[in-house]
Amino acid sequence: MSLVSRAITWSRIKSPWILHFNTGACNACDIEILAALTPRFDLERFGILLRSTPRHADVLVCSGPVTRQARDRLVRIYEQLPEPKFVVSVGTCSCSGGVFNGCYNMMGGVNEVIPVSAFVPGCPARPEAIIDGVVKLLGSLQATK
Amino acid sequence: MGKVFIPIGPQHPALKEPASFRILLEGEKVIEANVRLGYNHRGVEKACEERTYLQDMYLLERVCGICSHSHSTCFIQAVEEIAGIQIPPRANYIRTIIAELERIHSHLLWLGVAGHEVGFDSLFMYVWRDREVVMDLLAKISGNRVNYGMNTIGGVRRDISPDLYPEILKAMDVLEERTKYYIQVATEEMSFIKRLSGVGRLTKEDVETLCVVGPTGRASAVARDVRRDDPYAAYADLSFKVITDDHCDVYGRAVVRVLELMECYSMIRQLVKNMPDGPVVVKAPRKVPAGEAVSRYEAPRGEDVHYVRANGTEKPERVKVRAPTLANLQAMKKMLENYYLADVPIVVAAIDPCFSCTDRTIEVNRMDKGTSQLLSWDALRSYSIDWYAKRGVRPQDIRL
Amino acid sequence: MAKEEEISESLGRQFPALGGKIRIQRARRMWVEVERADFETVLEYLRKSQGFVILCTMTGLDKGENLGVIYHLAREDGIMLNVEVYVPKADPVIKTVTGVFPGADHYEREIVDLLGFKVEGLAPGFRYPLTDDWPAGQYPLRKDWKLDPSFKTGKIEET
Repeated sequence: MSLVSRAITWSRIKSPWILHFNTGACNACDIEILAALTPRFDLERFGILLRSTPRHADVLVCSGPVTRQARDRLVRIYEQLPEPKFVVSVGTCSCSGGVFNGCYNMMGGVNEVIPVSAFVPGCPARPEAIIDGVVKLLGSLQATK
Repeated sequence: MGKVFIPIGPQHPALKEPASFRILLEGEKVIEANVRLGYNHRGVEKACEERTYLQDMYLLERVCGICSHSHSTCFIQAVEEIAGIQIPPRANYIRTIIAELERIHSHLLWLGVAGHEVGFDSLFMYVWRDREVVMDLLAKISGNRVNYGMNTIGGVRRDISPDLYPEILKAMDVLEERTKYYIQVATEEMSFIKRLSGVGRLTKEDVETLCVVGPTGRASAVARDVRRDDPYAAYADLSFKVITDDHCDVYGRAVVRVLELMECYSMIRQLVKNMPDGPVVVKAPRKVPAGEAVSRYEAPRGEDVHYVRANGTEKPERVKVRAPTLANLQAMKKMLENYYLADVPIVVAAIDPCFSCTDRTIEVNRMDKGTSQLLSWDALRSYSIDWYAKRGVRPQDIRL
Repeated sequence: MAKEEEISESLGRQFPALGGKIRIQRARRMWVEVERADFETVLEYLRKSQGFVILCTMTGLDKGENLGVIYHLAREDGIMLNVEVYVPKADPVIKTVTGVFPGADHYEREIVDLLGFKVEGLAPGFRYPLTDDWPAGQYPLRKDWKLDPSFKTGKIEET
């Protein structure tokens, strides 16, 4: 990696900004993602901030299986994330479709639609598991330095 | 009329964003609002016909993560009625304790979200910190913080050990103390009250005509609560008040939810004190005889209705789920029209819709300027917080 | 069950064709099947004169040759009366009840989308709950409908 890429990767490891997108979930994972930001778990102490536009985000955190309605928006949001970008799939539904596998109107897990960098299973995924997933992702970035 | 998209990124004039709210503005007032749903349509009812009753219970639990126990219990009650099963009293008490704990977590969640929508983020952080008390309790009782999986056909899967009773009671004491503090904040902090008062009004007639359910309806003095009107589980044994308020606006809805929290603490204390002994489950048949039943349940957001038709096999013939938020959608139009755009976030949040609504988009059409733009929910929230800040209303400055 | 019996008798007197068809399943649960021709009059009577002011929801059913819809009505004292109406699949037309229950709007759109009902008098508006690009003539809740694998769309490849 060039010096510039290494610097960018280093700054990303230090404080990745995340965008949360729900593609049809039951909200259990969403409230656990939000709980990860509240005082008990406090993701922000790792410098991880929740952003509201894809253009400011490094990591897209997805919850939920992908419904037909959400599919195009998910793709568009993924395209709007600047490189290098990473996707974390939170929850069993997001990883594989979960209990909704086989339902009409469902595309399946998020990786049926966009490439995923980290899978965090659980129904819902506990805040500790979400933090673990994000930290492991950062660790893998470090490994490629 | 030229369509101008203010996108969340590069412009794609050819790709139409499915906007869930279409709003027509004149100046800063909403003159027409149309709501479109369907983003979370997952085809659950069809899937239920292809799975056994027990599998359906787990599926329905995941219709909504915030009131998962509501859907699971409502469904299983219908199945038990068709199969003619009487579940043991202890199982009913346990179901009710989980139901009320769920109501506590949901109302606290809502309070935090309401704070967040108006910029009062310290309230959000404080309330969600306190909510962890309930989450821990639910995890101790059921093994999971969300999606408890407590039910089975014929009763519940786990007992509550008497060792846990003191812990449950202590948690109620702690939460009651903290809720009293939040009641104080909600009734004394002027900028918070100003954001919530007078917006999203629904008269008593509106509620009755449109069949609005839950705290949204009770805030307009319509005293409907399935726990009292059509008792199920252990509610017939409990003494509790149906909380109503006559503000008819978002502030009233906040008051109703916070006072309902106090009733929850009282109900859980009664349940723990009077818990009957005995088994927690009876054997249930795999094949449910032909028949049908309608089950109603008072979820934190309002009345949940499940209809089940059985045909003698292991799989249901038909399952219909009417979640409470859908019943309140018709009223959404009434609550948004003739108010300011800046009030939209808190009015929508006040019906306590499912969280996936944070990804809603709003299409705003300006009648006087002939333009149209798409706003993300966050952009609308920021706009609304700034709009009120310019007028001297700043809940973000409240120190807790 | 006194109240339920009273309701049953009043309904039977007002609509003699229904006499004997009203079923009391248990406390607070009643059922009646009504002909398509009279059901809005029955619903209006129930709302205005018998206190059934709450429309909980509407359930659409596929019964083979017929399509059915159940209007789940309730009173403030908790008594529910479930009104069933059946129509032939070849002519699945019913009238809207939004005049009596304005809240029925979404429920009616749902049975249009998922079962293929035609609701006369329903105001124009968004469809619910399916997408605009959902193929016409495909009614997921019908018993003979199966998911077509071509409904899935492709994925973005990794760069």
